[in-house]
Order: sequence, then structure tokens, then C-alpha cells
Amino acid sequence: MKKLELKFFNTEGKTVTISLDAPVEPADPAAVNTAMDTIIAQNALYSSGGDLVEKKEARIVERNVFDIEI
Amino acid sequence: MAVAQKVDSGLQLVFEDGVNPETGETILRRKSFNNVKTTATADQLFAIASALVPLQQKTLNSIQQKDDLLITES
Repeated sequence: MKKLELKFFNTEGKTVTISLDAPVEPADPAAVNTAMDTIIAQNALYSSGGDLVEKKEARIVERNVFDIEI
Repeated sequence: MAVAQKVDSGLQLVFEDGVNPETGETILRRKSFNNVKTTATADQLFAIASALVPLQQKTLNSIQQKDDLLITES
């Protein structure tokens, strides 16, 4: 199961993550940039450390689960 | 008289995630963002939703705003 993680800095310089399931692959860097810019520009989200003010990074993460018989 | 004051707000993107083979109903999957300012407008949330939806593969069913209202006696 893969997730797209959009990471922002808030006013305190701490990281705030917004994640989405089932990302489009390969990710379109321009579309991701535009989306992150939009989120900052709308300024409608908050975090415990203030507004989202700057893009930090974006990445797709995958979690693999292997059941172990016990 | 009682008054309602908005104390929390959230954004929910409702995605279609296939069809239930038994009932034929569309399966809906909700993605919630809880850190929405109480001052956020429909325009702002629509812009954010419109920016996020193309980054993923599922079909958008609806955009919902969830507000928590605190009711007190005035």
C-alpha cells in the first residue's frame, strides 16, 4: 500500500504532513508542486505549531507487511 | 436562547472505491483532514481539494466540510 506524503514547515519550523492514498505513479513533480503551493496559498489549514508556510518535501512511501505465523 | 459557536472544522474527501458485488452500491472511502481552520471558506477548501484530487487515482465523489459547533446558553 503506497501513500503520497506532502510535507510542509509550519511557522515554528516543524514538519506537518498531509498524506493521500493511492497516489498517481509516477508522480508528476509539477502537479505536486502546484498542489503544495495551493495548500500554502489558501492558508486554510493549521497545525499545533502555526500555519503551513513552506514546502519541505514530497515523497511516496510504501509499507510492506509480512505476517509471521506464531 | 442558545448560541452555536464553531470550535472545530474538518475537510473530507469522499472517493469512490469500487462497487459492492452483492448490493451493486458504490463503495465510498473517506479521507479526512482535521486540521482545518474554523475560518476556512468553501472556496478555500474547494481549492485545496481540487489540488489534491489529481495526485491520486480514485474518483472523487464529493467534498464535505465537517464543522463542530459548541452550543451554549447565551
